Amino acid sequence: MSGRKLVAIAFVLVAVCLFSGLASAQDKLVRIGAMYPMTGRSGLYGMDSVAAAEMAIDEINGKGGVAGYKLDIVFTDSKSKPAYAVRVAERYITEDKVHFLFGVVSSGVGLAVTEVSKQNKVIFIGTDHAATELTLDNYQPYYFRVSNNTFQSMTAGAMYLKELQKERPWKTITYIGPDYAYGHSQLEEIQYNLKRFGVEYQLISKYLPKLYEPDYTSYITSIIKDKPDVLVCGFWGGDTVAFIKQAKAYGLFEKMLYFHPDAGGNYELMSAMEGEMPAGLVLSARHHNNWPDTESNRKYVAEFKRRTGRYPTYAAEGAYAGIYAIAKAVEKVGNPDNSAALIKALEGLQIKLPEDPEGFTSFIDSQTHQIVQMQAIGISEPNDKFPPAKMMLGKWKIYKAEDLLPPKELLEKRMKK
Amino acid sequence: MASSSKYKFGLLWSVGFVAFALVPVLMTSRYQMNLASHILIWGLFAVAFNMLWGVTGMLSFGQALYFGIGAYSIGLFVNHAGKAWYLPAIPIGLVAAAMLSFLLGLLVIRVSGVYFTMLTLAFAQLAWQVTFKWYDFTGGDDGIQGIIAPGILANKMVYYYFVLVVVFISVWFLKRLAYSPFGLILRCVQQNPNRVRFIGRSVKMNQLRIYVISSVFAALAGSLMVGVDNSIHTDMLFWTTSGEVILMSVLGGINQFFGPFVGAVILILLEDIIGAKTEFWPIFLGTIVLIFVILFPKGVVGEIQHLRHRLKIAGESGGRHETHASA
Repeated sequence: MSGRKLVAIAFVLVAVCLFSGLASAQDKLVRIGAMYPMTGRSGLYGMDSVAAAEMAIDEINGKGGVAGYKLDIVFTDSKSKPAYAVRVAERYITEDKVHFLFGVVSSGVGLAVTEVSKQNKVIFIGTDHAATELTLDNYQPYYFRVSNNTFQSMTAGAMYLKELQKERPWKTITYIGPDYAYGHSQLEEIQYNLKRFGVEYQLISKYLPKLYEPDYTSYITSIIKDKPDVLVCGFWGGDTVAFIKQAKAYGLFEKMLYFHPDAGGNYELMSAMEGEMPAGLVLSARHHNNWPDTESNRKYVAEFKRRTGRYPTYAAEGAYAGIYAIAKAVEKVGNPDNSAALIKALEGLQIKLPEDPEGFTSFIDSQTHQIVQMQAIGISEPNDKFPPAKMMLGKWKIYKAEDLLPPKELLEKRMKK
Repeated sequence: MASSSKYKFGLLWSVGFVAFALVPVLMTSRYQMNLASHILIWGLFAVAFNMLWGVTGMLSFGQALYFGIGAYSIGLFVNHAGKAWYLPAIPIGLVAAAMLSFLLGLLVIRVSGVYFTMLTLAFAQLAWQVTFKWYDFTGGDDGIQGIIAPGILANKMVYYYFVLVVVFISVWFLKRLAYSPFGLILRCVQQNPNRVRFIGRSVKMNQLRIYVISSVFAALAGSLMVGVDNSIHTDMLFWTTSGEVILMSVLGGINQFFGPFVGAVILILLEDIIGAKTEFWPIFLGTIVLIFVILFPKGVVGEIQHLRHRLKIAGESGGRHETHASA
C-alpha cells in the first residue's frame, strides 16, 4: 500500500518537474504574452494563430530582430474563459514583465483582457476577435486590433447585397447566427448598413440557435418554409461546417442565395467539407489563401504549409499581422519600454500584409485603433489547389478599406460612452 | 486536553493568517498577491459550499447562482446607478442572495438526494441563461468591465488586506457555526434525519437555514471577486463554477472543515502552474486530480488527519516518541 503510494507521489513530482523548465534570461528582448484557446471548438483558431505568430517571429529574428531587440513570445491557453485569461494577463504583466499582451479569439475574453491592459497601461494587440465594441464603446488607448471587425465585414456585405439587387433582384432576407453577442451584432450591423445604403428589403425571419448547436434540422426546415431570397448567416468555426452539411441534405442552397460575409469563407470550412462543399455560396473571411494573388500572400501560405503541414485559417494571418505591427512600432520607437511612444507609433502605422492586394497597404486608424483593410467577397467554385479542399472562393468582388469604416455620427455616438 | 487542542488550533489559525498577510510583503511580483486573492475568495466559497455538502449532506450543484448574484449586484449597480453604489451594492447583494435562497430553498429542500442536486442545477442554469441573454441590462455574454472599487480600496494591496480580513472573519464564523449545537444538528441531519425529528428538531428548517447561510457567503465571495478582476461575466453563474467548488471540496476532503480551503489552494495553484507550462493542461490536470482522488479518498486534509491519527496510535502502542505526530 505505502509502496504504491510512493510510486504515485513520485509520478506526480516528475510530472510537475517536467514543466518547470527554467526560463532563459536574455537581455534585450521584446516580450509578448499571448493568450489563445488551444482546446475545444475554437482550438484550431488558437493553434493556427500560435503557428503564424512563431513564423513571423522567426522571420524577424532571423533578420537580426528589431532595433537591437529580439522578439520573444510566451503562450498560454486562455481556455476561452474570461476570468482565467484575466489572471494570465496579470501574470504576464507582473511576473513575465511583458511589453505587449497579444491574441484572444473570443470577444468576451478580449473585453476582459482589454480592461487589464487599460489598468496596467500595457499595450494589448488584438488579433482575432471581431466584436466592434472593442474599438468603439470599450475603446481604450492601449488597445489595438489588427484584423477587421464585424462592422467592416458587414459593411462590405451590405455593399455586395446592394450591387446584387441590380443583377439579381432580391427582396427578402432571413438571418441565422449564434445566440451571443457576435451573432446579434452581425444582424444589427447588416441591417444598419443596408438602411444606410438605401437598400429596400424585408427581414422576414431571424433564427438564433445556441452556440455549438449540434442539430440545425428544425431551423433548416423553417428557413426553407420562409422562402427568403437571401439567407444571411453569422456562424463561425465548426457551427458553419455543421450547418452547411445539414442544410445541403435538404437542398437549401438551390432554393436561396447563401450569404456569409464575416467568417463563412474561412479555409476551415473548405477543408472540412472537402468534396461535399456546395458551389455558389457567397462567402468572405478576414484572410483568403487564394486572394490576393500576390507574391507576398503566396509566400505566406506556402511557408505556413511548410511549417505546419496544413493551410492556414484566417485566424493565422491576424496573429502574423500582430507580430509585424509590434516589430514595426518597436523599430520606430527604438525600444519596447516607452508605451506612450509605442502608442504614437502604432497610431496610423502602415503595414504591408499578405492580405493586401497590389497598391494597398493596411493601416491602423489612429482614432479607433482599428486596422483598416480591404475586404474580398467571393463565390465558392471548384479549385483543388489547396487540398484537402475541393472548392475555394473565386469571382471576387473587392471593397475598398476606407469605405468600410463606421460613419462619423456612429463613431461619435458609440465612442462617447 | 481540550485546552491544548484549542491552543494548537489557535496557533494554526494565526500561522495561516500571518502566511497570507505576508504575501504582499514577501512577493516577488504583484501576481502572487493576485493569485493569493483568488485562493482566499475561492477558499471562502468552497468552505461555505461544504457547509451544505460535507456537513449537512446536501449536494447543491447550483451555488454559482449566489456567487454570481454577489458579483452582478455590484456590477449592475455600478453600471446603471453609478460608481458610488459599489460598497452599498455588497450588502444589497447579500440580502438579495438571502431572500432568493430563502424562496428557492423552500422549493428545493422539499426533495433530497439527486433530485435536490438537479433542482439547484436547474435554477442556477436558469439564472445564467437570463444573464447571458439580457444584453441591455446585464451586458449579456460580454459581461461588465471596468468595475473599480472606490477610494483606497482601488489600491490592490489595500484591497488584498480587505479580502484577507473579510475571508478570515467569514471562515472563522463558519467554523464556529460548524462546531456549534446548530452544526451538530446539521451533521445529524446528514447521518440520521429521523433522530433529528425524535429530539424535536425540524430537518427541513435546519436545511433551509444552512442553505441560506451558505448562499449568503457564496454571494460574499462573488462580491469580493469583483475588486480583484475588475470585470464580471456570465461564466460566474455557469454550472462549471458550481462544479469547481465541488472539485475543491473533494480534493481537500469534505469531512474536514478546512478541506475545501486546502482544495482551493491545490486546484488554483495546479491550474496556474500547469496552464502556464503546457497547452495539454487538461491531460495533466486530469491525471493529477485522478491520482489525488484515488490515493486520498478522504481528501488531502482528511488523509493527513488519518495519518496523524495512525501515527499517534502507533506511537502510543510502540512506545515511540510522540513528536512524529506533529507532521
